[in-house]
Amino acid sequence: MTQTQRPGHEVDPKLLEILVCPLTKGPLDYDRARQELVSRSARLAYPIRDGIPIMLADEARRLDESEIKR
Amino acid sequence: MQRSEADAADTHFGYRTVPLDEKQTLVDDVFHKVAKRYDIMNDLMSGGMHRAWKSILISRLRPPQGDRPFKLLDLAGGTGDVAFRAVTAGGSGTKAVVADINTEMLAVGRARAAKRGLEAKVEFTEANAEELPFPDASFDAVTIAFGIRNVPRIPRALEEMRRVLKPGGQALVLEFSKVDVPLLDKVYEYYSFRIIPRLGHRVAGDAEPYQYLVESIRRFPAPDVFAHMMRAAGFARVTATPLTGGVVALHSGYRI
Repeated sequence: MTQTQRPGHEVDPKLLEILVCPLTKGPLDYDRARQELVSRSARLAYPIRDGIPIMLADEARRLDESEIKR
Repeated sequence: MQRSEADAADTHFGYRTVPLDEKQTLVDDVFHKVAKRYDIMNDLMSGGMHRAWKSILISRLRPPQGDRPFKLLDLAGGTGDVAFRAVTAGGSGTKAVVADINTEMLAVGRARAAKRGLEAKVEFTEANAEELPFPDASFDAVTIAFGIRNVPRIPRALEEMRRVLKPGGQALVLEFSKVDVPLLDKVYEYYSFRIIPRLGHRVAGDAEPYQYLVESIRRFPAPDVFAHMMRAAGFARVTATPLTGGVVALHSGYRI
């Protein structure tokens, strides 16, 4: 699952401030390197593609145990 | 053919009855097919009327002039049409977030925002209207124009719309309705079932998505039924305003 990030469109920081997890409505951590929004409460990482946050559980990556403990 | 919400493990895809989970996939497919030509098709299908209807939506929204902050969430607004109108009509404090479940529609919208120099005022995010990724009480208004009938579980979407509204905030739903003018209803019937799918075939290269659009319009609840659904979702001061002989209705409700 290694995907090279092409820095073209950067996600708008103002948008990141207002987003929450669609499932738990809990906070999200922005992982800039992986271009993901991490919801620890839902154990999901939502992808940001081409600067657009994809806030759909179906599209999210499940966090593995080590990531949750971190 | 009325069924209670409780036993609704199925939903409608046009005139077909399909499992709830399948509807989203089918709807996604429709919009993947039509994204680029969506606004052109709207023009053709409505004879340009969708512009007038959206103008009425914006005038009811009344975004403030000047720098007073006003945050709009436009649902199912991928191509940006409603959001651009709102931030253009409002003052410097008016900002919009567009949420759409469809990647292609959002890509079209964002490219247009860049072209019009509205990138700083309109944000784009891919989201499901039934599970919004925004905190409670975070928007001054929520709009959805010709989108709510495509949502598999409309009551859930309405509850989410109310949740993200600030107290005093307004939800505006523009949607096709039931034509209530004699003769016009017959003309409309002929036009929508005979002409629109053919137009779709000619302009967007595929008749099937437009067949779905026409059928889904007919399936949408009548204004009084939809008003009841808004009240059930907790909205107050709910009104339904028929436009153009009832081809379209503008529904409004407030979170108080």
